[in-house]
Amino acid sequence: MAMPAKSKATRRDFLKLAAAGAAGVAAGPWVSRNAQAKPVSITFARESAYVKKFDEHFQKVMAPAYEKATGIKIEYQIQAAGGSAPVQLVAMVENKAGADVAWTQQEWLYRDALVDVSDIAEAVGKEQGGWYDEIKRYSMDKGKWKSVPMGNIGQLMNYRKDWFDEVGVKKFPETWDEFLEAGIKLKAKGHPFGMSMGHGFADNYSWLYPLLWSYGVTVMDKDGKKVALDTSETAKAVDYVRKLYKEACIEDCVGWLDPANNKAFLTSQISCTNNAYSIMVSAKRDLPEMGKVIDHGLNPKGPNGQRYHALVPVTHGVFTYSKDVQAAKDFLRWTMDPKQYRPWIASGDMYFAPYLHGFDKVPEWDIEPRVKPFQKVLETGKITSWPAPANRQHGEVVNRWIVIDMFSKACTGTPTKAAIAEAVAQLKTIYG
Amino acid sequence: MAPAHRPYRLGRLGALMERESVFSWLMLTPPVLFLLAFLGYPFFYGVYLSFYRREVASVASFVGLGNFVTLSNDPIFWQAVRNTIIFTGVATVLKASGGLAMALVMNQNFRMKAVTRAMLLLPFIVPTVLSTVAWQWILDPGMGLFNRLLVVSGLANPGPSWLGTPTMAMISIIMVNTWRGLPFFGISILAGLQTIPVDLHESATIDGAGTWGRFRYVTLPSLLPVIFIVTVFSIVITFFDFQLVYVLTGGGPANSTHLMATYAYSLSMGAGQLGLGSAVALSMVPVLGLLLVGLTLYVRKD
Repeated sequence: MAMPAKSKATRRDFLKLAAAGAAGVAAGPWVSRNAQAKPVSITFARESAYVKKFDEHFQKVMAPAYEKATGIKIEYQIQAAGGSAPVQLVAMVENKAGADVAWTQQEWLYRDALVDVSDIAEAVGKEQGGWYDEIKRYSMDKGKWKSVPMGNIGQLMNYRKDWFDEVGVKKFPETWDEFLEAGIKLKAKGHPFGMSMGHGFADNYSWLYPLLWSYGVTVMDKDGKKVALDTSETAKAVDYVRKLYKEACIEDCVGWLDPANNKAFLTSQISCTNNAYSIMVSAKRDLPEMGKVIDHGLNPKGPNGQRYHALVPVTHGVFTYSKDVQAAKDFLRWTMDPKQYRPWIASGDMYFAPYLHGFDKVPEWDIEPRVKPFQKVLETGKITSWPAPANRQHGEVVNRWIVIDMFSKACTGTPTKAAIAEAVAQLKTIYG
Repeated sequence: MAPAHRPYRLGRLGALMERESVFSWLMLTPPVLFLLAFLGYPFFYGVYLSFYRREVASVASFVGLGNFVTLSNDPIFWQAVRNTIIFTGVATVLKASGGLAMALVMNQNFRMKAVTRAMLLLPFIVPTVLSTVAWQWILDPGMGLFNRLLVVSGLANPGPSWLGTPTMAMISIIMVNTWRGLPFFGISILAGLQTIPVDLHESATIDGAGTWGRFRYVTLPSLLPVIFIVTVFSIVITFFDFQLVYVLTGGGPANSTHLMATYAYSLSMGAGQLGLGSAVALSMVPVLGLLLVGLTLYVRKD
């Protein structure tokens, strides 16, 4: 009868082992927490940069330099591009764990979880020619800076100069009406426009919001209290977009997500779209012939005679849950010192354009004449909430595509009045 | 046999441990705790959240059924409900009928049968996100496989915009879901087919039944339990489908492919309204419950 005894021993051993294991797991973090007097590392999370040299510069030059100077290791956490970074940030904020410093995408959703960095932002502004005013709408909340602006991802009209020339449009259209006219001619030649209107981010709003503004319409009033969208001018803008879609665009663009317009442009399916200059970079690298004939045009002017662009801000913030907020802030301040900041910006080929007037005349802007127009985006650019505050409600409007869908509904068969009414009803619910 | 020497002193705890009922529960505890932690906790936290106005990084305030009232007045929510029902209904019917056909064909003897069977499982094995990205290319209007084939064969020029109009986008996501789910039906039904005794078919043949007769009165009734189980599973999985739509359309154009799962995600993670998002997610539970009860009753009656 040896069997039961043996089986008992195994059970006991197993339980002992399990208990020891559990104790080990529990003791681990406790021991390491106590042993830690000053932070040995700071985690810095950023979405992977389109210009690869930019991330490399940080990893190979900046992070080692900081470790050498302070003994603090920087863990550079590169998040995948394509829309998942804001979700990760929201998860970090909710779990009160994760990066100490981050590219705070969509910070309007979680400003309460960011520490006041006014001291840094003000010092940097003073040091480098002052901030462009509009970025304060995004980075500041109730008079305090909640993030330090790092740069703007400029969005402009990317177009095929060769095809525009072929139909006799030698200069990029100045007004939306001329833009439509050019589009009709190009579509007839088999080169339609591809203006994103789907459930993506940036490529859709970077032309639809400026278009709306240039019709003299804003979504909300200045205080962000009253819905201002319900006007006859909005109807004209919606009718214009429907006409542009039907007569000048590729049918697919109404459902496009972020990468779709890049893909369509690079495969010669479209002659114009609104995008950052990433299309040109890809073309120069992989399709040299096309790389030569791509150019960038400013958003056309509207009936009110004005030209607008939408800012896509890149800002850095420090989370309140960070174990050592001061150490994280010191690091952030260090990155914004001109000694570090200027080479860093240069390594990104101005893909991230600083919101600082100190950069207005730097030679870095001349690396490529087709990059230079992106500087104009800073001058005429607005945060999408403009003129209202860029608050949580605005974040909801952007992320639920309320304004974008007003246009895309109109393009897919909803009458203008109904499309506007539906958007207005959603806005009223969101802004309460 | 002489009792084995026992080096242990059996204390009260030890004696308790000897009892199978106690020991088995002890062994069961870890998985139960695991389930509670990773399934139970999120579920009940979701239920809790749905009664609160809870925005990211802020304090929750109790609103009772407020979130559900908000949703009941939200046309996008109702559109998502409608879309989810159409998507699940059509895709399930297609998968069930296609899967049955696939199984009947696979049950025949032909060369390379084993290889073909293995290949058919591929759509099910490849991670959804990956295969969906491939579908994005296949459905591309100008250079996608479908439209190239249509243009080259002269059937259409240009081909349709697969993801660019509300109707086509819905058709496309149903098509991709069907493609992915078909092998699950096919293989499960095939397994069921192989359990039907050959004698049943033989005696039916002797009684004068033709191919259709044998299918109608022997094969189908024997398969019904399998089809039922697989369908129920499939409805659940399809109803909660998220990845496919998220990758392919993001719920667009103009919300025409927004499912309840993608809408819940867009409200919670996009708009930061965790309470409202949870309310959408929770609304799926009773709808699904009703659907399953109805289906069960229907099959029982049969």
